[in-house]
Amino acid sequence: MTVNINSISKDDLPWIIEYDSEKCMLCGHCVAACSFDAIKVDVQKRKKVKAISNEEGFQIDEDQKAIPVIRQVIDAHNFCRGCGICTKVCPNGAIKVVRNKTEIFGTRYRAKTADSVKRGGRSNLNTEGRTLDKIKVGRISQMTDPSLDALRHTFDLRTTLGRVVSANKLHFEVVNGELQEKKNDKLPVNKSIYPIIISDMSIGALSPRMWEAIAIATAYLNEVKNIPIRMSTGEGGIPDKLLRSKYLKYMILQIASGHFGWNRIINSMPYMQEDPAGILIKIGQGAKPGDGGLLMAEKNVRLIQEIRGVPKADLLSPPNHQGLYSIEESVQKMFLSMNCAFKFKVPVAVKVAASSTSVSVYNNLLRDPYNIVGGFFIDGLQGGTGAAHEISLNHTGHPIVSKLRDCYLAAVHQGKQGQIPIFAGGGIGMNGNLAADAFKMICLGASGVFIGKLILQIAGCVGNDHGKCNSCNTGRCPIGITTQNPKLMQRLDVDRVAENIVNYICATDIELKKLLAPVGNSTLPVGRSDALVCVDKNVADRLDIQYVC
Amino acid sequence: MVNYATQTARKGNMKKKIIHTVENNERESTQLLMQEIWEAIDEGCNDFEIDACGQHNIGGSVWSKNGEDLNFYIKNPGQRTGSMGAKGTNIYIEGSAPADTGWLNSGAKIVVNGDSGDTTGHCAAAGKIYIAGHVGTRSGALMKKDPKFEAPELWVLKSTGSFSFEFMGGGIAVICGIDCEDMPSVLGDRACVGMVGGVVYVRGSVKNLSDDVFILDLDENDIEFLKDGLKTYLSEIKREDCYERLCDFSQWHKIVAKTYEERQKQHNISLKSFRINKWMKEIGGSIFSDLIQDDFKSYDLVQTGDSRLRKPNWKNYAYSAPCEYNCPIKIPTQKRFSLLRAGKIKEALQLVLEYSPFPASVCGQVCPNLCLVNCTRGNFDEPLDIKTLGTLSKDIKVPPVKITKDKKIAIIGTGVAGISAAWQLLKNGYEVEMFEQDNKIGGKLSQVIPEERLSKEILNTELERFKNTGVEIHTSTKVTSELFKKIEKDFDAVIIAIGGHNPVVLPFEGYERLIKGLNFLKDAKNGKKYDLGEKVVVIGAGNAAMDVITEVYKQGAKEVTAIDIKEPSAFDNEIKAAEKLGAKILWPCFTQKITDKGVYLKDGRFLEADSVIISIGDRPIFDFLNKKYLDENSKIKINEFMQTENEKVFAIGDAIHAGLFTNAIADGRHCAKNIIQLLNNEPLTPIKEKDVIPSKRIKSEYYECYNSTCDNEQNRCMSCGYCRDCGLCMQSCPQNAISRIEKPDGKFEYVSDPDKCIGCGVCAGLCPCGIWEIEWCK
Repeated sequence: MTVNINSISKDDLPWIIEYDSEKCMLCGHCVAACSFDAIKVDVQKRKKVKAISNEEGFQIDEDQKAIPVIRQVIDAHNFCRGCGICTKVCPNGAIKVVRNKTEIFGTRYRAKTADSVKRGGRSNLNTEGRTLDKIKVGRISQMTDPSLDALRHTFDLRTTLGRVVSANKLHFEVVNGELQEKKNDKLPVNKSIYPIIISDMSIGALSPRMWEAIAIATAYLNEVKNIPIRMSTGEGGIPDKLLRSKYLKYMILQIASGHFGWNRIINSMPYMQEDPAGILIKIGQGAKPGDGGLLMAEKNVRLIQEIRGVPKADLLSPPNHQGLYSIEESVQKMFLSMNCAFKFKVPVAVKVAASSTSVSVYNNLLRDPYNIVGGFFIDGLQGGTGAAHEISLNHTGHPIVSKLRDCYLAAVHQGKQGQIPIFAGGGIGMNGNLAADAFKMICLGASGVFIGKLILQIAGCVGNDHGKCNSCNTGRCPIGITTQNPKLMQRLDVDRVAENIVNYICATDIELKKLLAPVGNSTLPVGRSDALVCVDKNVADRLDIQYVC
Repeated sequence: MVNYATQTARKGNMKKKIIHTVENNERESTQLLMQEIWEAIDEGCNDFEIDACGQHNIGGSVWSKNGEDLNFYIKNPGQRTGSMGAKGTNIYIEGSAPADTGWLNSGAKIVVNGDSGDTTGHCAAAGKIYIAGHVGTRSGALMKKDPKFEAPELWVLKSTGSFSFEFMGGGIAVICGIDCEDMPSVLGDRACVGMVGGVVYVRGSVKNLSDDVFILDLDENDIEFLKDGLKTYLSEIKREDCYERLCDFSQWHKIVAKTYEERQKQHNISLKSFRINKWMKEIGGSIFSDLIQDDFKSYDLVQTGDSRLRKPNWKNYAYSAPCEYNCPIKIPTQKRFSLLRAGKIKEALQLVLEYSPFPASVCGQVCPNLCLVNCTRGNFDEPLDIKTLGTLSKDIKVPPVKITKDKKIAIIGTGVAGISAAWQLLKNGYEVEMFEQDNKIGGKLSQVIPEERLSKEILNTELERFKNTGVEIHTSTKVTSELFKKIEKDFDAVIIAIGGHNPVVLPFEGYERLIKGLNFLKDAKNGKKYDLGEKVVVIGAGNAAMDVITEVYKQGAKEVTAIDIKEPSAFDNEIKAAEKLGAKILWPCFTQKITDKGVYLKDGRFLEADSVIISIGDRPIFDFLNKKYLDENSKIKINEFMQTENEKVFAIGDAIHAGLFTNAIADGRHCAKNIIQLLNNEPLTPIKEKDVIPSKRIKSEYYECYNSTCDNEQNRCMSCGYCRDCGLCMQSCPQNAISRIEKPDGKFEYVSDPDKCIGCGVCAGLCPCGIWEIEWCK
């Protein structure tokens, strides 16, 4: 075999397969299970020449044999992503993956292909520690007032999605000494929901099984566990069967710049038994702000082509809604149209990537005289995505915490806090504890949070934020979550995934109460920043919370 | 106070202390009252009548010294009356009591003749508390039962406030619900949160109980207990009038905590059941069921059958070996070595004759052997000696041809192209007539190639073998236009295989001095020598020019230079052979003029030469053809099937493109196939060429390095893409999925059983010949 110094070699790859041929019995499990074609069976030649001089003279002995081995594939496209499935299936512990610390692969890949590096996952450049981890819930009831019992007392964790009008505009009047609703005075719709929303991941980005598992979990949490959680559908088309079922009421339908699947939604309207839980207009996402959706052709299978109404191709949603040029126009066109489409009975919210300009946008929306803006979703740079250019993932975006705080305080400044509920997302729960993050964000002013990547991790995603797997874009998800390959999808157990999600949310529900109880709140402490303290002076000052040390 | 007089009287001669806690508008503090009581007890007092003013903890944590009960008759107490009460203490309260009555009761009997405040009986672990009215919130919370003591009891005539019996761990509570018939819940809201033990008997409506308890009907024991207990209780609070009302036990329930085991049980519907019985029922299958098939079965990471990610295919001979692929005739040399390995020497040597009538003359002598140049083994040690293998087929006989078809084909020209076509057509039973203008057959093999490169004996042997097929050959017969018209008419198909016999000359100054290379070689072959002088320049550096150089040296030249305008097109070994003789090859060189001194180049260089020979190609002479056959460059017009304007007239070999002998032989073979299809009225089909097997699929790791020894070349052959039937796949398959099937015709095949195979690719990874191919399952 010739080795060209300019071609990609094993030590250029992001993950190195460590293989012990002594332990290996060549059962083939690792190669059979690897979805990336990153390892193969091969033959290795072993040759030893031994020489000795003895009474019979100078003796030369040669020992040569060919040994079957597992070999790492060296290729710029089919390369090990470090998912570790080989290690999982190896009965002898003969194979494992180790991160290559040289990090040269991106350079080699660009030099070889003249193309940008694309991947899924989250930002892999989390060098500075998380702001939320520097914040503690520090105001605990200790003799000042009674704390509550988290496990045995009752709490009302619901929040509001939809426009809330100020108290002096409530549409009551006193008639003949009795309080009555004003006639012909429509209050904007709002809905009482759980403060955690399962974020918009499209059919296409996710496998049908994964998407349905989330939908089932959502229904179960509502109907069995009495937790009124909502799921945003993402914009990848919605199956007619769901649109026409009663479960639509738990779904927040999304319209993004591709407008994929809206044909079927509109055509299903006459058959809808229930209104959807909300409409979410997606302007941008935190993981890759300024970029539209990206579905690589590998994942654009027949099902996706059908429900999105497109042929096989890389599907790139435009970076913006092509008909929108200003905030005012957005309110007029998108909010009004979506309100009209559902007869002003469904709250309509907007999702933007956190940006230096978020406060301006929020201020502008707060002035909306028509009361048709029902929620403001801000997505920070720690959010995940199914596919993006790595440069967007690692180098663009805005952290969510201070942005949420700024928006909330801007509303406070006008006395309008809570009128357009803010939902914050982007890395919520990325350290494994959703309740802690959610609680802190709520205390800082969020009416709720939304989570995406965390749901995938609950489902069994093996990826992490240190380069492991991150291959959602390839359609070869080894777990069956972000693939459209039926064989890989079959690895996913719908019921267990749904159960995991249900369990995690139930656990989060308990943990949220474990934070509410000592603070002494039995309802959501939206904006109760006095409950928080911060061990970082700069963060404390920036967020206007108490610095402690 | 009057009310208690009878009770005091019943106690006989006990000393009784009466305490008024307000004197002269001064209220006695709790501490002073306590001290007064303790001192009295020490003095042997057992009965106390206390006119209190909100002093706390009265009756709590006191013990008699004489073994007799302590009795307290209290009016207007403060909080925690009887708290931490001990066994042998009896407390009677006139009217209502504030919060915490009987808190931490550890054995006292406490009777409240009215309502009692919040947390009545909180943490009581023994004793009896009798309340004649309502109790406040969190009453009965954290009651416990210590097995060393009798269970605590809390009896309430009316109702409790909210959060009653929170975290209750043991004991008995009886809530009678008298006069509470209109209340939504006689236990208030959220009773029994966190309750883990004990029992609460309750009469009347109960709402919003915690999930930690069961609410049950009474059984016989419960009724027995209540019948007795109620008598005592009602008599203590002087409400015997209620007994009848309370004895309708159909109005009662009891609340018990779930056991530890019951608490562990998931009472929720399982996710799977929810999916099947709710979700899919409501939706009518999965939400995607109108779009994709999915049975929702989940599979492990390693699978067999249809659920495998990949599957292996035994693709024997699906690819060409490099020797076959690079040979224009596509001679499958890997098959020849395979036959040799099987000991079938005759078959091995015969096989080549299906492809070419000249294995010895061409493969063994004049061919540049692209098979050998590209042999996989050459990357490892040295290529197989395929040249010699060709020579070995020289004396192989072929069975005589039997003419079975009634169609006749004329072939003009008896060079390798024509003979190759005739060879194939004859083998297929067609009658063939050949026309040759020379007096001998063999074309350039006979007329041009120097004897050093092609032994006369070998060529003649093979030409004889051809002639013996029974073909009819007209030598010394030039095909004129008249003859051609007749041939066209008389034969069912015609092949023009006239070769190129018109040497090309470029019109630079002095071109008339040039010796034409083709004529020079033909003359040499016929024994005619030229007086070339010592220095010779050959214009052109292709394979033919190399032949010219060889002959020029043979005829006495000392210094030969070949020039070309581009990189020499001759094969490396031809060039090396010429250079070995002393020739220099220069390029790029553009000739300006030729004089008697030599060759002047356009860049000013001058090459001294006594003679200049030009050998840059030869063109065919189509003087017998009607113009309709030719294009504006006087080349014959053909389609992809080598078919001319007249569908039954074909042209092949150098007549259509200059090439190697092997190209000409390949043309002949393909043309014969086309003619057979034409004569059978079948559509002509293009030649399907197999891809060459990727070299990385051939595992050289199995081979030891050693060079050709001629007698065991078959063992050096790596059998690229052609199964050598070693059985390694069968042996190494971890699933035991592969078996070898012997077919009736003696052929064999290996198959992998999909029900066992996991698609790991061990077969493909280990196959020495690259036969097994792994592909993703659809």
